Amino acid sequence: MRLFSKLLVANRGEIAVRVARTCRVMGQPTVAIYSEADRDALHVRECDEAELVGPAEAARSYLDVGAIIDAARRSGADAVHPGYGFLSEDAGFAAAVADAGLTFVGPPAAVHARMGDKRGARRIMAAAGVAVVPGYDGDDQSEERLAAEGERIGWPVMIKPSRGGGGKGMRVVGGPSEFEAALQASRREARSAFGDESVILERFVERPRHVEVQVLADAAGAAVHLLERECSIQRRHQKVIEETPSPALTESLRRELCAAALAAARTAGYLNAGTVEFLLDAEGRFYFLEMNTRLQVEHPITEAVTGFDLVRLQLEIAAGRELSFEQSDVVGRGHALECRIYAEDPHAGDLPSAGRVLAFSAPRGPGIRCDEGVATGSDVPVHYDPLVAKLVTWGSDRNELLERTDDALRRTVVLGVATNLPRLRSIVEHAAFRSGEIHTGFIDEHLRELPRPAPPGAALVAAALAALEGLRGGATSSGGAGAPPDPWSERTGWRLGAERPR
Amino acid sequence: MKTLRSGGQSWSVEVRRLRGGRVQVAVGGEVFEPDVRTVAPGSFLVRSGGLADVLHCVRDGDAIHLHWRGEVYRLDEEAAGPPRAARHAPGDLEAPMPGTVIRIDVAAGDRVSRGQQLLVVEAMKMENTLRAPRAGVVTAIRAEVGEMVAPGRTLVELEPVEESS
Repeated sequence: MRLFSKLLVANRGEIAVRVARTCRVMGQPTVAIYSEADRDALHVRECDEAELVGPAEAARSYLDVGAIIDAARRSGADAVHPGYGFLSEDAGFAAAVADAGLTFVGPPAAVHARMGDKRGARRIMAAAGVAVVPGYDGDDQSEERLAAEGERIGWPVMIKPSRGGGGKGMRVVGGPSEFEAALQASRREARSAFGDESVILERFVERPRHVEVQVLADAAGAAVHLLERECSIQRRHQKVIEETPSPALTESLRRELCAAALAAARTAGYLNAGTVEFLLDAEGRFYFLEMNTRLQVEHPITEAVTGFDLVRLQLEIAAGRELSFEQSDVVGRGHALECRIYAEDPHAGDLPSAGRVLAFSAPRGPGIRCDEGVATGSDVPVHYDPLVAKLVTWGSDRNELLERTDDALRRTVVLGVATNLPRLRSIVEHAAFRSGEIHTGFIDEHLRELPRPAPPGAALVAAALAALEGLRGGATSSGGAGAPPDPWSERTGWRLGAERPR
Repeated sequence: MKTLRSGGQSWSVEVRRLRGGRVQVAVGGEVFEPDVRTVAPGSFLVRSGGLADVLHCVRDGDAIHLHWRGEVYRLDEEAAGPPRAARHAPGDLEAPMPGTVIRIDVAAGDRVSRGQQLLVVEAMKMENTLRAPRAGVVTAIRAEVGEMVAPGRTLVELEPVEESS
């Protein structure tokens, strides 16, 4: 069902690919945008057409409003999906799209301006009676004032850029001596990522859980929530693993949280898909954190348990259609998990890696979905976010979910670029994770050091060489009695291709 | 005969073609006849002990990248002859990842202690602080603020000195 003449996908990577895939299902033609670094990127291939918008630097391509509007005009697109990140929460972009006579798939500029700014959002929510974390959200951004407010709030304090998300520019400050350097670093990252350097301060909540609620609102004023997602497994304030339902919520707490999220969305005059984020402390108190006025990276786990296609719903709402279901139709079935596969080396301090993907293979099977932004031969450029793929798994209960996730992680292949796959596996296999005892400091507390894997065994080296020589082995001789069940861990006494001992 | 290295271990390996398209591989004195079939470029079905698994394996210059049962390995092939000389002096600080130098905190002649912040490289919108791997005296700065650097590129030359307490 084609809703627009052409939809321009103003993003790159896995989310651009994911939007294009729903559009293909709907018969909705798409236009990709790309930078010079992304000429051969997967998202360019997944869309029907593609427009070059500028050089590799994001500021002159994926963040260049004028270039993107021009691309929409050139291609004849009449609607724009912003994805997440980049300009997705930029009120100026939403306004420019509307001014150009195009449909923006998301809330209007005024809502972005209200909620996309963490400072304003905090004030609105506090006024609407939704609890916020004690902090400072004032207009005076002088270093002296901020340092004084940090003192008033009480250390440790969290510095957060007013704009943007994804953990960029966030810093935890233990005391006044670290404040100046942390503030400067935070502002630098914020300026480079979001083009704005104002910050808010919040009291650092110890061992908090991060739970958010998906909301949807249509132009006729109907609003529903699509249950919660727990996003407590984070690294450098960036989400790594998300799960639904949250193991931390009782049924009554879930009702309260979802009701607060709907109240927040209504207060904001919300339209389209959005997410209300909360901090949940150890005593089960929750505080409004921020509202994300866009699709979230982790939206597929909501799709997995509710059965809805959120991108499709976004397009329908943007086209002016009313929601075709009510709150009572939203039922969560089973459990779902998302593992974010980042191009970073867990054996080298999680430093970002970049380069050519020499091999990529996504696992398949019941309850497994992979949203990837790369294919074999793709480059992972240094210029953008290091997310290369998301592995989304579903199980009828949490135990089946974790078994499937573990297997799917083992069968996810990325060669040539280091990824956090070993880190993801170590989290999923951790006893505390399996029992649902998680908080935002989980990785630092349990998994700081990830030991390098042992070098490959001789049998594996032999198999690799045979494979590369393009040769086929035959059945062989020895091996025989006494060989252990896993021959790869054994150094002698067996041969590849031999019969398994009985 | 060639030498493969991985994670501090090395093997001398030899591949021999047998009759009937079979292959024999000698790895560090052990002899294998792997049952390996190509299923797609870079993917191979390996049968062993009654179990079948897919081995993913690609060559990139002298490096061989492997994925086997959830683990990733890298083997570096070495041509016969003496090992290549180290590319840089032991005290030098290299860029660990590609990125942009956004800040340099030291100058030539500075004495630095182990762990001291030397410069900041921004990659993928995250700031990464690079610290002195050991105590030393900065002999040269090989990068400028704003410059894009490739991994392995020497950024700071350090003359190691004994750490004084």
